Amino acid sequence: MTNYILKRLGQGLLTVFLTVSTVFILIRMAPGDPAVSYAGPLATNEQLAAVREQFGLDRPVLEQYWIFLQQLFTGNLGTSYSFQAPAMQVVAERMPYTLTLATAAILLTAVVAIPLGVWMSRRPDTGKELGVNVLTIAGQSMPDFWTGIMLLTGFAVLIPIFPASGFATWGGLVLPTITIAILQIALISRMVRREMTANFAAPYLTVARSRGVRNSVLTWRYAMGNSAIPVFTALGTRFAAMLNGVVVVEVVFAWPGVGSLIVRALETRDYPLIQATVLLTALLAVGVQLLIDLAYPLLDPRVRLGKAATA
Amino acid sequence: MTAQPQTTGHREQPLLEVRDFQVELITDAGIIRAVDSVSFSIHRGETVTIIGESGSGKSTTAMGILRLLPEDLAVLSGTVLIDGVDVTADPKAIDKVRGKTLALIPQDPMTALSPVHSIGRQLFEAIRIAGAASAKDKDAVQARAIRLLEQVHIPTPEKQLKKYPHQLSGGMLQRVLIAIALASEPQLLVADEPTSALDVTVQGGILDLLLELQEQRGIGILMITHDLGVARLISDRIHVMKDGRFVESGDVQQIVDHPATEYTRALLAAVPVLGPWDETPTASTGESRGAPGAHASEITTDPATDSALTQTGASHD
Repeated sequence: MTNYILKRLGQGLLTVFLTVSTVFILIRMAPGDPAVSYAGPLATNEQLAAVREQFGLDRPVLEQYWIFLQQLFTGNLGTSYSFQAPAMQVVAERMPYTLTLATAAILLTAVVAIPLGVWMSRRPDTGKELGVNVLTIAGQSMPDFWTGIMLLTGFAVLIPIFPASGFATWGGLVLPTITIAILQIALISRMVRREMTANFAAPYLTVARSRGVRNSVLTWRYAMGNSAIPVFTALGTRFAAMLNGVVVVEVVFAWPGVGSLIVRALETRDYPLIQATVLLTALLAVGVQLLIDLAYPLLDPRVRLGKAATA
Repeated sequence: MTAQPQTTGHREQPLLEVRDFQVELITDAGIIRAVDSVSFSIHRGETVTIIGESGSGKSTTAMGILRLLPEDLAVLSGTVLIDGVDVTADPKAIDKVRGKTLALIPQDPMTALSPVHSIGRQLFEAIRIAGAASAKDKDAVQARAIRLLEQVHIPTPEKQLKKYPHQLSGGMLQRVLIAIALASEPQLLVADEPTSALDVTVQGGILDLLLELQEQRGIGILMITHDLGVARLISDRIHVMKDGRFVESGDVQQIVDHPATEYTRALLAAVPVLGPWDETPTASTGESRGAPGAHASEITTDPATDSALTQTGASHD
């Protein structure tokens, strides 16, 4: 088990290293000049050169990369051009907002999607089920910027129940959370239904029914117990993806998270800030993925105890 | 074969009485009458076997009696009385007998237990449903579970309780399933091809166990099989099924000795016989068709039975 964790940890760190290295190269290949963004459109060539020298952008790319690697090991990725503060610190201050939003969204998704999927699996081919089915397809098809703007118009402007932007009060969490969750609920509930339907048709369920096991137990202990692994994996993976910043939703709701930060960092070609954001979010995503892998043995005895000769 | 004499008039109420039982399956191709007006009964201590090829409706009969067919796809009619309870008239009535007077021994033990729950958990649950031990008394439930596993001759039962289905062999799992079935002290066992998914070497052990339990407890058994060897060993009476109907019914010896229909003769002839290694070239053709009985190469088959063999083959209805 310890070996397994170390191995996965090593793989995770390698993934993070390759990710930040790729981003390091890509942002320097992309058009745009941080010095122009920083010094403004009216800056003279001398001023631009001075800025480049200040940021170390006049040096060869390989040398810049070597400096970056040294920074990587000290955990200090330099100073953000636009914030004039340590880049890691700027990102770290934004991280709790994204974490809060992602956690709220994934909890709402789980709480709604699992019972909804179970409900759909229990009532196949009924009118109500068809209605919910159509709704989930609609939920899957609506782009989140559109959903976000509709919710804003509806519940912040026309009926002003919730704040339109920012995170001044907990009320501000409601609309962005719902915006993200609508798509996730649509996806996860359909997956839960698929898994449950497959398990309801499994022989072990028929045999359990034959010995008088109640329907609620068949549903939740048997079918859900056996659907838990893929559903949990999907929820965990989506959560990890949200930590990379729920970019569009954060921008629509002016949410002070990592997603809106990365947009600004990219616009201003703020290399240290881009690199710090990518490093932190990649670390978090890899960490969450590792936790998911470590949770498998708890959910599945076949993983915990190894496959026997007769699997 | 039980010690129960056949002649004691069946004046007592039968454990299972099936009259004019029909199952119609709703499929994309239309309605199929999978079981067509079958009638039979089982008394205490009796084993009644329904034998037939794949698709003959034998398993559908069993699953229909247990009401385990999908409610919206299978239409049942006729009368099925389980210990006097009519389970066809009222869909809820089956709950009174499931896990109590009635138990199922499934076809494939490898898929018949939930893979993510331990043997113990599934056995404890059956004990609690049966109400045999006070559900709150954990020790009593555990003790009863161990006794049940001992009765089906599972070694070191305390250890097996903690195991998961994937850690046991098919034969052991079938014993566990029989123990789970016995938890409620059932009067009637429905065994749906209980040995067909098992290795030949353990098939005999499972059948012996069923006979032993029947002798001890006087359980009635409805056996579903395509294997005449199994039917011969265990049955009091046999119903030969084809296309949803009983084509022949009667005492096991009478049917084996004097089959009345061509179909029964073909089924009888499909029983593989032991022969020398390389007697006839037809032996290899029988094997290459994947005959169900031909587990080892030394088993040869009569070429005349090839059609019956392939029909009674591995796939299950």
